[in-house]
Amino acid sequence: MTGAEVLPSSFRDPAGFLFRRDGVLYRQVNGVHRDHYQRLMTSGLYEALVGRWLLVAHEDLGPDEAAAEDAHTVIRPDVVPFVSYPYEWCFEALKDAALATLEAQGIAMDHGMSLRDASAFNVQFVRGRPVLIDTLSFEVLREGRPWIAYRQFCQHFLAPLALMVYRDVRLSQLLRVHLDGVPLDLAASLLPARARARTPLLLHLFMHARSQRRHAADTSLPSERTFSLRAFRGLLDSLSGAVRGLVPRRGDSHWIDYYGEADHYTSEALQHKRRLVQGVIDELRPATVWDLGANTGVFSRLASGRGIDTVAFDVDPSVVNATYREVKANREEHLLPLVLDLTNPSPPIGWANRERMTIAERGPADLALALALVHHLAIAGNVPLRRIAGYLAELCRHLMIEFVPKDDPKVRRLLATREDVFTGYAREGFEAAFVEQFEIERCESIEASARLLYLMRVRE
Amino acid sequence: MGRGSKVFVTTVFFLGFSFTALPTANAYIDPGSGSFIFQVLIGAALGAALAVKAFWRRIVGFFSRRGRPSE
Repeated sequence: MTGAEVLPSSFRDPAGFLFRRDGVLYRQVNGVHRDHYQRLMTSGLYEALVGRWLLVAHEDLGPDEAAAEDAHTVIRPDVVPFVSYPYEWCFEALKDAALATLEAQGIAMDHGMSLRDASAFNVQFVRGRPVLIDTLSFEVLREGRPWIAYRQFCQHFLAPLALMVYRDVRLSQLLRVHLDGVPLDLAASLLPARARARTPLLLHLFMHARSQRRHAADTSLPSERTFSLRAFRGLLDSLSGAVRGLVPRRGDSHWIDYYGEADHYTSEALQHKRRLVQGVIDELRPATVWDLGANTGVFSRLASGRGIDTVAFDVDPSVVNATYREVKANREEHLLPLVLDLTNPSPPIGWANRERMTIAERGPADLALALALVHHLAIAGNVPLRRIAGYLAELCRHLMIEFVPKDDPKVRRLLATREDVFTGYAREGFEAAFVEQFEIERCESIEASARLLYLMRVRE
Repeated sequence: MGRGSKVFVTTVFFLGFSFTALPTANAYIDPGSGSFIFQVLIGAALGAALAVKAFWRRIVGFFSRRGRPSE
């Protein structure tokens, strides 16, 4: 069969690859991986993992659907509502992804199998939980052999988590630069000395890094049967303890409890804004909503509460972490909080700049919310209104955007420390900039404020 | 990991590794073999630590069951 478009993210793996045909995502399992795949499916491991929400479920379609030669079979995995990347996750999400990876590895060992990679990119958040998406990353366990994914686990999970706790939560952005995880020598040099006082970190980061350097020139590996299953279990238990032990310290300035600020949501203006947003969501019935500048997701939940797959983007990692915790505690299945700086959004990275997608490539969303956002972009970020309109038009089909005028207290606060060079920043200039890209469907004044709320549709 | 096994593991590896700073990075080096060898080095101790932990849990579990009033 033809008409298949191979995804640029899965070319490294000889075991198989992802492709899209007529908009549907498939994964080809190559002949070379047949025995491993059959063991996954017949050993009970697949059911065990899918039953615990640790592996994405799939349907086996047989080799007739193949997109290239040497196919053992083709599978159609369940759809992931929104593909997100580790550098967009908050601390707690990365930690949960790490623990899910270790749990899956432990269960795999019970079934005579093992993960051959432990990349954070193999995890996606589905219904609020971390799920492994690479069905082909399980191989038959070779007893006596150390864990081939150990280095990757430490680089993708343990190192960034430790850096976020011991140095700064913003260091998650190192994963955007280092696509195969934070190199351990780099992590060791950035971590403070007190991180060495924790035995698991001393072992898996500092001494591990030292061993990598010491044996960098070695061409021979330890002979087979030198790593017992007991040692393997001990390693996993130690890694699990290392990850669980990473808890942000109380009182750290980056981990402020943002719920304390929630009182301003009781104001009349916000109640009215809420009713307007809810009305539009109920009327448009979008399949996907992106809340840009979502803060703790108060407005995102107007969509996710209706069962709509919603992504709540915010620039502040500690706010996103607070939202993620709430999502977890309330078992919210349709809300995904992610870290995103709209003035410098996730770039296309990896081989040929095509392995990881931009935010725009993952859209467009049926509806984007840009509430209390435009003044941050236009005044604090110095982005002209025309350019804001141009980029937002790439992200969505419908846009609900709030215009916050210059005499609003929040804008006045932004202008207090700046020269007012924003002469076009007024209702007329705003509308003139946006009508080039959008049709304005309606505009409402928000009660008890000078703010305006627009519903717009991207021009064909 | 229990306190005793922590001390054990730490002591063993303090002997094997010195505490000097790492030299500057060479990005072209494949760190794969070091990760393999390191696992083999620490594997036995971590396996033993897990066994001690499991054994300790059983002892604690045994006494806490005995200590609990019968229902």
